[in-house]
Amino acid sequence: MQKTTHLFKSFFIEVGELSYFAGRFFREVFSRPFEFKELLRQCYSVGNRSILLVGVTGFIIGLVLTLQTRPTLEEFGAVSWMPSMVSISIIREIGPVIIALTFAGRIASGIGAELGSMKVTEQIDAMEVSGTNPFKFLVVTRILATTLMLPILVVFGDAIALYGSYIIENLKGDVSFVLYFNKVFNALEFSDIIPATIKTFFFGFAIGLVGCFKGYNCEKGTVGVGLAANSAVVFSSMLLFVLDFIAVFVTDIFFEI
Amino acid sequence: MKKTSKETFNLGLFVIIGMAIFIAAIYFIGEQKNMFDKTFTISANFNNVNGLMQGNNVRYSGINVGTVKNINMINDSTINVELVINEKMVKHIKKDAIATIGSDGLVGNMIVNIIPGEGSAQPISQGDIIESYTKIGTGEMLNTLNTTNENAALLTSKLLDIVNSINKGKGTLGMLIKDTLVAGDVKLTLENLKHASLEANNTMLGLNALIHKIDMDNSVAGVLLNDTTEANKVRHIISNLETSSLEIKKVITNLNETITNIKEGEGAINYLSNDPEFAKQIEESLKNINEGTKKFDENMEALKHNFLFRGYFKKLEKEEKRAEKK
Repeated sequence: MQKTTHLFKSFFIEVGELSYFAGRFFREVFSRPFEFKELLRQCYSVGNRSILLVGVTGFIIGLVLTLQTRPTLEEFGAVSWMPSMVSISIIREIGPVIIALTFAGRIASGIGAELGSMKVTEQIDAMEVSGTNPFKFLVVTRILATTLMLPILVVFGDAIALYGSYIIENLKGDVSFVLYFNKVFNALEFSDIIPATIKTFFFGFAIGLVGCFKGYNCEKGTVGVGLAANSAVVFSSMLLFVLDFIAVFVTDIFFEI
Repeated sequence: MKKTSKETFNLGLFVIIGMAIFIAAIYFIGEQKNMFDKTFTISANFNNVNGLMQGNNVRYSGINVGTVKNINMINDSTINVELVINEKMVKHIKKDAIATIGSDGLVGNMIVNIIPGEGSAQPISQGDIIESYTKIGTGEMLNTLNTTNENAALLTSKLLDIVNSINKGKGTLGMLIKDTLVAGDVKLTLENLKHASLEANNTMLGLNALIHKIDMDNSVAGVLLNDTTEANKVRHIISNLETSSLEIKKVITNLNETITNIKEGEGAINYLSNDPEFAKQIEESLKNINEGTKKFDENMEALKHNFLFRGYFKKLEKEEKRAEKK
């Protein structure tokens, strides 16, 4: 009983600390000086270096989703609905979530480990002593980078996934690129693409935030670094699904579809 | 520093490509909704829109030309549907076009179909209200199908009855199908018929040959049948015959009259033919004449032997003998 209470207590403390951390981020992000060069560097390492991962993931999602769905639709004689179905499911849900998850696996653990080792080796304290705001330099740039890069990566991943889906349709059926393209954009609405893109900003923010939080608050030496990296991935992935649920819920209310 | 600038370039490229893809996607979706084309608005009134929604496609002769902009209830039975149509289509859609609401496939989205009118009216203009026609929805269609199905079920059960009774050999049809005796009869009849038809065929062939044999052009029949001048002649003859027969009739009538006159009248012929007394008298007269000639003969014999006339007779005899010698 006491253990459960303790568990709940620590969970709420964790969430509370995360909220404080987020509040601190919002305070620091609008205050001078801006670490612009560091932001670009982080964007590069977060964004460009994930292109291959996201591209492969997206492509395979497109292929697999089409291959898996096709037999069922074929049974109904509705193969011509494949492009619309695949495009809507990829753009609305599967693309953002899967790509954010792989991104979280790569970035959240990276940030957690990086900041954690900095914390453990007291580089952060040293930075503070040398007059640089470590929160601004390390945390704000990383969170901003993930927040800005994930949507673009998702757009990339969606496009590649749809291309993969087109390849399967073209091989298994008789769908030309123009027809596939037209069907996809005929099926898509603004209410599919805009909320899906908006929610990827939150996903990116959550991944960066959790990664930085776990790393920044790392304790217990080198063991703590591994723990930070691990829990950053787990917590950010979980948070992704919570955010996704909220996003879909809100979208559902606003767009009434 | 050099490495950093390269990194920055790559980052910029990545961001720009990502943004371009996103903006292109937004643009293509918008283009499907005619957001970037010049448009004009027309409307149509319906009683029932069958779940039509804002943003549904509008098709003209099957081409996507616009979207549904607005759906307003005007009064308790009329719904006004505003349609945004691509400006390019303005010259093709005429004022007498008809709007209907249909669905894209059996379970697809609702769409507004604009069907071209029959005549050649003026092109449509901004704000026009075109005619509408409410098609039956799927529900009503299914209702109709339901009735049809019930009828079909009734029909098939009746058919089943009929087929059963046929199977049991009831009725004419059943007998025809099931009864082997009748079948034999029918077969026989058919054979006879076949035979008869063969015979008829032969006869016809013979007749045909016969007809061919008749020299149609030169025979009497041929002339009669074919030659128009001859026909005229014949006609002429017949008419002559007719006049002749008329004449003959007249003559006969006259003769008849004459005969009647003879019979009943007092002319010589009548007297001759009818008076027996007169015949007797003639007979007697003839007798008397006979006697008279006999006496005259005797007288003449006596004269011959009279000396006075003997010489004349001898001379006659001598001449006769001379003629014989020669």
